[in-house]
Amino acid sequence: MDLTPIWLTLKLAAITTFLLLAIGLPIAWWLSKSRSFFKIIIEAVITMPLVLPPSVLGFYLLLAFSPQHGIGKWLHKAFDIQFVFSFQGLVLASVIYSMPFMIGPIKSALQQLPVSLSQASYSLGKTKWQTFIKVLIPNIKPSLLTALVLTFAHTLGEFGVVLMIGGNIPNVTRVASIAVYDSVEQMDYTSANGYSLILFAVTFVMVIAVFIFNKYQLKSPLE
Amino acid sequence: MYISDALCFKENSMKNILYNGEAIKRLKIVIACWVLLITPAFAQNLKVAVAANLQSVIKVLGQDFKQKTGITIEPIVGSSGNLTNQIRNGAPFDLFLSADMNFPETLFKEGFSAKKPVVYAQGSLIICSNQDVGFENWERLLMTDRVKKIAIANPAIAPYGKAAEETLKEKGILDDIKSKVVYGESISQVNTYITTGVVDVGFTTQALVKDPANKTTLYWKIIDPKTYAPIEQGMVLLKHAAGNAGAEKFYQYILSAAAKTILKEYGYYVQ
Repeated sequence: MDLTPIWLTLKLAAITTFLLLAIGLPIAWWLSKSRSFFKIIIEAVITMPLVLPPSVLGFYLLLAFSPQHGIGKWLHKAFDIQFVFSFQGLVLASVIYSMPFMIGPIKSALQQLPVSLSQASYSLGKTKWQTFIKVLIPNIKPSLLTALVLTFAHTLGEFGVVLMIGGNIPNVTRVASIAVYDSVEQMDYTSANGYSLILFAVTFVMVIAVFIFNKYQLKSPLE
Repeated sequence: MYISDALCFKENSMKNILYNGEAIKRLKIVIACWVLLITPAFAQNLKVAVAANLQSVIKVLGQDFKQKTGITIEPIVGSSGNLTNQIRNGAPFDLFLSADMNFPETLFKEGFSAKKPVVYAQGSLIICSNQDVGFENWERLLMTDRVKKIAIANPAIAPYGKAAEETLKEKGILDDIKSKVVYGESISQVNTYITTGVVDVGFTTQALVKDPANKTTLYWKIIDPKTYAPIEQGMVLLKHAAGNAGAEKFYQYILSAAAKTILKEYGYYVQ
């Protein structure tokens, strides 16, 4: 069994999780504070990949990435970047696709923190940013961990979008979920089983770890 | 459809049993349920598993067949490998029109068909693009910077992909262009890649450019059939069709002159 799809999947999931942490924290913070109609729209857009069929996302990304028109053409002409059939393309798709899993838990956790917490911090002379990093984030650790793990696991599970925009290129876009599909189609059930078992084991261990950690934190997981 | 009707009926009958509980009535209902559940086996509706390259031509064949016999065809389109897997795992298909001979042979050997597979058509490979890139010397074109991405169907599971790879090998350019190749999950995905322009060129079936449903202007050239092993497309009558006269009829129809004319119109080679 060729293990490169597994490494590729782990790499994709790790990069996606890291990028989403960087993007997601500030967005979740912004969303957690006061509501406005504009924010509701943004939040809806971010949450949509949760319910939208991956094929819809894949279809639009395929059109958007096409080097013959629109954004794809501009990216291709101006920067010589081609997103379709490339690893960067998969990263971008995963970031969009897994965004609700990062932002959702963090946002709800921030909203549930008592306002007095940040007010106390401000009155002690801390800036907004210091308050966020030193006071708010340490208080939402379990949710942060849940968000990280869910994002990572969800990226491992990505299939439909990759099937549409990946092009099944070995070492580049042939991730484990695609390798499973491919092996089954080739009637190579041994390889399919190998990939599947590894994915099963990895996700199981991760989810178990979150449950144990969150129990230790005396907070129920997925809260 | 029939099964859901039967289930509905069964649900109602369960209520009847609960409320009246008369033994004879119960028996009648159970029998009625069974008859309804068994009916689909006799219904004149054929489930035909169809390789992706036949996607458009099967509709025309189905209409023609319906006109001649009144029997409706329900095509299930997918890659040959995927459909073979589904059949091996109990999919209720009556016939299987594959894109090659290997998959039907496998099914025959494993006992999913009582009859040996037969060749019903030979596929024709083309090189195709939605831009006028000029295919006079396509071998050289593929090597130039003009072409960044080349789509072929996954050679391990799609016969047209295998043929494309054979051609590229025969021309001695496979290794040089390997980094540009992207693999479609089936020939239909390659067609999507070509028509949306996400790839510069692709290797596909002639049926794509002969399909009236295709709205994209395409530029194409037939690949010399001598450069790849013939894409012999095989058909098997599956065990599921046992006792279904319509299935046998459709089997004969596909091998008939009428079906061959249609297949020819879509770019297939027929004997």
